[in-house]
Amino acid sequence: MKNTYVIKRIFYSLFVFVVVITLNFFIPRIGVVDPAERYYPPQGNMSEIEYEIIKQVTRKQYGFDVSTWQQYLNYLHGLSKGDLGKSFRPGSPAVIDLIVERLPWTLVLSVSTLLIGLIIGVMFGVVAATKRGRWQDTLLLNASTIMVAIPGFFIALMLSFYLGFELEVFPAYTDSNMVANFDWSLAAIRTVAYNAALPVLSMAVGSIIGHAQGTRNAVIAVTNEDFILTAKAKGLKQNTIRYKHILRNSMLPIVTSLGMSISGLIGGQVVIEQVFNWNGMGTLFLEANNTNDYPLMMGIMLLLSGFTILAILITDLVYVLLDPRVTVGDKR
Amino acid sequence: MKKKLPIHHGMARGIEKRLKNTGLFIKRIWSHKQGKIGLTMVGFLVVVAIFAPYIAPFNPYDVAERTTKGLPPSSKHLLGTTINTGQDIFSMLVYGTRVSLIVGVTSGICIAIVGSILGVAAGYIGGLVDSLVMRIVDIMLVIPTLPLVIVLTNVLGRDYWTIILIFVALGWTGLARTIRSLVLVLKNSNYVKAAELAGASRWHIMIRHILPGTSHLLIMSTALSSAGIMVAEAGLSFLGLGDPTAISWGKMLAEAQRGGALLFGAWWWILTPGIGIFLAVFSFMRLGIVMEEIMNPRMQRSSGVYKVFKNLNSAYVEEVFNSMDDYAKIGVTPAFEHGKGEVTHETGLKA
Repeated sequence: MKNTYVIKRIFYSLFVFVVVITLNFFIPRIGVVDPAERYYPPQGNMSEIEYEIIKQVTRKQYGFDVSTWQQYLNYLHGLSKGDLGKSFRPGSPAVIDLIVERLPWTLVLSVSTLLIGLIIGVMFGVVAATKRGRWQDTLLLNASTIMVAIPGFFIALMLSFYLGFELEVFPAYTDSNMVANFDWSLAAIRTVAYNAALPVLSMAVGSIIGHAQGTRNAVIAVTNEDFILTAKAKGLKQNTIRYKHILRNSMLPIVTSLGMSISGLIGGQVVIEQVFNWNGMGTLFLEANNTNDYPLMMGIMLLLSGFTILAILITDLVYVLLDPRVTVGDKR
Repeated sequence: MKKKLPIHHGMARGIEKRLKNTGLFIKRIWSHKQGKIGLTMVGFLVVVAIFAPYIAPFNPYDVAERTTKGLPPSSKHLLGTTINTGQDIFSMLVYGTRVSLIVGVTSGICIAIVGSILGVAAGYIGGLVDSLVMRIVDIMLVIPTLPLVIVLTNVLGRDYWTIILIFVALGWTGLARTIRSLVLVLKNSNYVKAAELAGASRWHIMIRHILPGTSHLLIMSTALSSAGIMVAEAGLSFLGLGDPTAISWGKMLAEAQRGGALLFGAWWWILTPGIGIFLAVFSFMRLGIVMEEIMNPRMQRSSGVYKVFKNLNSAYVEEVFNSMDDYAKIGVTPAFEHGKGEVTHETGLKA
């Protein structure tokens, strides 16, 4: 039963991935088809024939000289070898190289935000759930009501205004030499941490409150279950119940939420990176958008979607492995 | 045999009844403390948006009405002027209400329509329709929302009707999922079975019996997704990807950042649009939650039809919140998301 579910689940993820790839290929083609016309507008003294030749060359260079269907097949073929196509940038660098260059800088922010958000959030959530109705709980409730209504980039702007410009505790803009000078020395790592402080802080606020709210609800839901009452009736110690029974069982929804929060994190980071001038994938994506560099945009999209599919798959499988009660129905 | 009333009579009575119900509904919101806050604030924003030209002392779109640059707040310029163009910030703020409200509310309403149609169809008809809709939902779930919105604005254009279209096209999935899980419960309730046995057509059952059962969710989701889309629109404008011709709060923030508001300490320029966004989003969310509380049949235990709800937990409320996170992702910090995996267990609403 479980094995068939796991296999089914993996195949379903593959199916979703193929659809996403197809969408990725076709969406940019709704608008612009021809990189030649877009990138090389006719120069002043150029004759019709010369321009035609230049267009032909450009099309060939980017693989646009064949039918759309053939292009799609070529795209799939390239993907199977890990090739995401060539960027429209001058010198047509491979998309995958551009992404790999920026990926670590994005991950620095997302991973630290995730860890901070998860650790502090879960602790806060457990406290709020155990002190239900007291000030800790009220604080969490009010904070989450207010936080949902504040855009993350506004928090980021405020932080860079007060901590960056007014108090000058942390840099309001990322040091542009940080990436170039990075050499794994302690000083370089410290510089990165110093520069990353504000972006991480502005993302962590929402993350902490989100995880705290989720943990609180999960813990309260478990607390209301019958087996907790049984444990109490058996005369178990308060702490044994709290840590061995309640917390352990409420970890499951938290694990599930983790998978989803990873993808949201990377997506939402686009704006935050922009505020602090952080040279990550978000900035790369916006650069690509501003220059209509579709292969690059679609490469990033594909990578992010792939991450999400993988994260959801893993959390689902972990869920099945961890929780023997999960009914594995194919009806969702 | 039923006595037939003249049509006009029936219609007049229907309208009268509806007006009375609407009045009652507003009264009930008003009697709720949070509802009073939400309703007042939403009403205030609507008035500001409609009468923007009369409220704003200057027309921010008019180049001729630009004055000295970088003035701090004074009696002439309530919130000062911008550093780069010398526009009156208070007027910009007032005009910005229009963009936020139009984009937010229109998208919210359209999402409710699309989401309810697809959700009810998927839940009630089942079979191929169901799997088709749910597969689309699954696929939309894994594509990162903000990058997709950016790609689509790049391809389709950036005027705000296109932006609304894109938000609706991407935003209905969460609501459709929620509605579907509710419909699966309603479908097995006795009154729907009775209607089926009485020979009612599928169409009739979906519109007259199932759809009304989801109305509390629809109303709430309209308000919540409006709020979420206001945040998203602000985020998009902040990136410089909103409607280039419109003055919106997000764009004001972006201009403030680029125009050196941070550097010169021009707090009036950077703080006010943020507060505007916060107030709009906050009031719509309050109103949405209060309306759900009032309309939620679980609260009206006496009305027999809705007894089915008694067994349900607050899973819908949570799910609608989660679907809101989808939009919120765009503008807001990556928010926590409750499990959206394949496993049915977390919804608590088994088929």
